[in-house]
Amino acid sequence: MTSDEALMLEFQGGSRAAFEELFARYRKPLYGFFGRRLNNPERADDLAQETFLAVIRAAHRYEPRASVRTYLYGIALKLLAAERRRFATSSAFAQSAPEPKTDGNPETVLWVRQAMEKLDARDREILMLREYEQLSYSDIAELLRIPVNTVRSRLFRSRLTLKGYLELEAKTNPALRPSAGQPHPGRRGMQ
Amino acid sequence: MSTNRHLIEQEELMAYLDGELPTRQATEAMSHLDLCPECQTLAADFRSVSRELMAWEVESGEVDISPEINAALEERVQKRELANVSSLRLKNRVMTSRWVWAGALAIVCVAVGLKLTLTSRNRNEGASMGMGAVGDRSTAYPSMASIEQYLMPDRDAEIALARSAAPESISNHAKILVLGWRGYETAIEGKNGFVCLVERSWGNPFNSAEFWNPRIRVPECFNPAAARSILPLTFKRTDMVLAGLSKVQMIDRIKAGFEDKELPAPEPGAMCYMMSRAGYLNDAIGHHVPHLMFYFPLTDKSSWGADLPDSPVTMNPQFEGGPEPITEFVIPVAKWSDGTVAPAM
Repeated sequence: MTSDEALMLEFQGGSRAAFEELFARYRKPLYGFFGRRLNNPERADDLAQETFLAVIRAAHRYEPRASVRTYLYGIALKLLAAERRRFATSSAFAQSAPEPKTDGNPETVLWVRQAMEKLDARDREILMLREYEQLSYSDIAELLRIPVNTVRSRLFRSRLTLKGYLELEAKTNPALRPSAGQPHPGRRGMQ
Repeated sequence: MSTNRHLIEQEELMAYLDGELPTRQATEAMSHLDLCPECQTLAADFRSVSRELMAWEVESGEVDISPEINAALEERVQKRELANVSSLRLKNRVMTSRWVWAGALAIVCVAVGLKLTLTSRNRNEGASMGMGAVGDRSTAYPSMASIEQYLMPDRDAEIALARSAAPESISNHAKILVLGWRGYETAIEGKNGFVCLVERSWGNPFNSAEFWNPRIRVPECFNPAAARSILPLTFKRTDMVLAGLSKVQMIDRIKAGFEDKELPAPEPGAMCYMMSRAGYLNDAIGHHVPHLMFYFPLTDKSSWGADLPDSPVTMNPQFEGGPEPITEFVIPVAKWSDGTVAPAM
């Protein structure tokens, strides 16, 4: 078993197998990254693949200063920004986009998404990078080019705000709220 | 919540739960959380938010590498091969036209090789003497595996394994930690001051051939004194491993940690239960035998009669100055934590 960074260096040296291993490790997480942010499963899949294409094309420039994980999400964030710029000039795109499939209860997912959408966009991105992509405060700070303390304070604010939204929503629609004590499969964040 | 009443800020509490605090602050936060109902409520709120966010999972089918990626890969591999061939040809031309340098180069290579051999031998000798040197022995685990390999996907299984380190009368009331992507996290709060967790391979001596063995799972329950003074070493090593530090860097930082008093000396009475029959200590001994461990500042092992003929006490080389200035004595016990009789050692 090999670390991501060692695989990346092997790939730089020409190993196709190393790339295939990285692809296997990160395809689903990258799909999830785009899927939660774009509400379009086809584009999510395309952009996940484009992330790997960018890795191939820029492999010679990779330096093991940051983790491969952070490196990949750095590329993904750039692709996401470009996609959103395109989206801003093409209103038909989102209207025709189907909702992404989810593993969870669709109503619960909708409720979580609606609560997330009420957050400030910058705070939401930090929260998502922490909760879903499992990045450290310093990784998030590096990717978004903001101080680590800013990451921490915004994360704190967004979690408390979200908690308020979720509690309000639970009072309004108690049937939609997931059991607070029941862990969800795949849980990897704060425990 | 004011700082007058709490030793930690709310943001710090969140950072602790995220595994983002340095070792010393994390230890303080953990101790405070044990005693502060208000902070426990806030911690539960944070965990609840995180848990509920996890409802939003995105389904993804199995997708192979796309034709575009395949083409780009092929192109890259071909370019790489061409570059290698060109490099080889260039090298051959240089070597042919300047053959007179070959003799000199050979002499340099021999000298360098001799130097490396001697250095390597010295290093291995240091390691075998237990001096904490980083021996690069031939091993099946030469480097760190992906973090996923060290994590246990079934959180409940990790909790149960951690608890199996000590009899239920102890572990049922202990704080339980589990390893997450960013370090150890509290899974269950405790009441008796004991802390149980499953250590990973990097708890081994730095010169161990199995330092990176991802199969290793070592259930341990530390008593309160060890939770305060030995557990921070586990946190420290784990933080550094997850940060991607080399062994040399880790050793340097541990040394500095003790010099700066960031890392504590073992408290009197610090000990640990290791009575699980389900642990996996290394490839050679599997789950080993149930035993207790006792920690001291560097101590002459003869003072405990350790490693003497027929003595039940052995000295574990886990730390022993490599670099932690701690001596660890091990005493086997007759039963596993579930009360069943263990085989004789």
